[in-house]
Amino acid sequence: MRKYGVVLALAAIFSLPVVWVLITSIKKQSEYAASPIVLFPAVPQWINYQLAVTMADFPKYATNSVFLSSAYTILVVITSALVGFGFARHRGPGRDRLFLLVIGTMMLPTLVLFVPQFVMFARLDLTNSYWPWILWGLAASPYHVFLFRQFFAAFPRELEDAAEVDGCGPLRVFLQIFIPNAGPALAASAIFAFLWVWGDYLYPILLLNDQNTTLAVKLAKAYVDPRGNPLQTITMAGIVLYVLPLVALFFAAQRYIVRGVVTTGLKG
Amino acid sequence: MSAAARPIAGSSVRAVAWRRRSARRALTFYAFLSPWLVGFALLTALPLAVALLMSFTDYDGFNLDRVGFVGLENYTRALADPDAQHALQRTLILMVTVVPIGVGVQLALALLLDQRLRFSGLLRTIFYLPHVIPVVGGAWVWKLFTDPNGGLLNAIIGIFSPDTYIRWLVEYPTVVLSVFVIWAAAGGGMVIFLAGLQGIPAEYREAAMIDGASPWQVTRFVTLPLLSPVIFFQVVVGVIATLQILQQPILLTPGITGISPGTVPPRDNYVFVGHAYNAIFVNHLFGYGAALLWILFALVLLLTLVLFRTSGRWVFYGVQQ
Repeated sequence: MRKYGVVLALAAIFSLPVVWVLITSIKKQSEYAASPIVLFPAVPQWINYQLAVTMADFPKYATNSVFLSSAYTILVVITSALVGFGFARHRGPGRDRLFLLVIGTMMLPTLVLFVPQFVMFARLDLTNSYWPWILWGLAASPYHVFLFRQFFAAFPRELEDAAEVDGCGPLRVFLQIFIPNAGPALAASAIFAFLWVWGDYLYPILLLNDQNTTLAVKLAKAYVDPRGNPLQTITMAGIVLYVLPLVALFFAAQRYIVRGVVTTGLKG
Repeated sequence: MSAAARPIAGSSVRAVAWRRRSARRALTFYAFLSPWLVGFALLTALPLAVALLMSFTDYDGFNLDRVGFVGLENYTRALADPDAQHALQRTLILMVTVVPIGVGVQLALALLLDQRLRFSGLLRTIFYLPHVIPVVGGAWVWKLFTDPNGGLLNAIIGIFSPDTYIRWLVEYPTVVLSVFVIWAAAGGGMVIFLAGLQGIPAEYREAAMIDGASPWQVTRFVTLPLLSPVIFFQVVVGVIATLQILQQPILLTPGITGISPGTVPPRDNYVFVGHAYNAIFVNHLFGYGAALLWILFALVLLLTLVLFRTSGRWVFYGVQQ
């Protein structure tokens, strides 16, 4: 019984702040800062969700977020799978040193790379556009390369041998034998990539403008009433709408994520 | 090489064929790597060279014609800058609290959930959920929870001491920041530790139990040493991530009407990368900011190296599966 006590107490501590967001999202604004504190709204204000959608032009920024996240995800999964496959199943001079370089770049502080990239993007007139994300996607990401390399390295050698005897070229081996068997790695990589763009706040605020920016940036600037006072209740409804699809996606693919995390995290 | 040097015609032909084949193989290898090779050259190596050059100039982000070389001035300035020293101190304080407590929480959650429990799937989901919430959402969760007007935290404390009015984000910003970071990272670490626990053969723990070890002794002397490589991995990852923290302190800045690129967090949450970010994107001191970031990189490398060097004393690689 004692072990349940500890676990349940921890679960309460972990989930209370989230539950509080959910409750706040259906309160009346006048109930928000009432004294004494209002634990549950007298009448659930579902209209907050409707207001959250209309007041911030939610559909427009959601479309921006979906488009940018999907474009980056598709590109980075394709390129990283190719590179990871190359490292795992092919040989060439300097392979181990190059792979060390992949790992090394994962240790660079994000801003050390981003600041000069920002200067370059600005010089090339690529700011205020989605081009930086397209270029990052085309360039493959060290994390995803690492994930795919670890995953593909575990495949049995006979697979390729048999295919090569049958006259399959390397690209066909990759596309017709390895990719169809890489479901978990593809799913984990795709969801991590999508989550990264969807959740990122820093790069959109520095690279995009108020019109083409993502939900993350738009929603951080709270919903306000005409006099500029914050409307916490509607903001929370907006935050729930922003987070919920992601959480649903994540738990739908939970098995893959766990396997992906474990592949990259442990079998170094 | 030696095969090609031999005068016999047949083997020389074979050597040429072999060389041609290995050249083709190398070509295939580089072809698969090409996205990364090009990307590394243009989006990593070139920017790094630019960043290094930039740190020796007074570049303001606008005018390339008026850039002047200033030698090591940016670096000497960084070492004497009281704001940089303050920011570094706050970052290190954050690191030495968040990393040990954070890894401890991850480990404790994994050990608790590794037992036979009812609703363990649901519990796992509850602990994992914060890890999935994007940083903007997580910051709002804690802003709301600690809000002195209408926040739940003060209300709970108010049950025990009425009329509590603590402005958490103003009076204790580092406490809220630490809790936020630990809360958000706990689920990810828990999953990794759970996987590590599953990798420990049950016989080890059973054998210790048969020898009369208490559950605590089994954990302390069998499970933890076997988990130490995973603990080490989480500590290294945690140190690197905490030293680079930037978005969380900015997003937790008090005042709820939103934030702009120029938002400065409370002094206690003024972290090192935040100082570099301010120097570059608010004050347009690109050269100085670049120097600050290189100093940070050196620090990250140094600390990682120290961790690896000292890991032999406590990380146990005895059993390989």
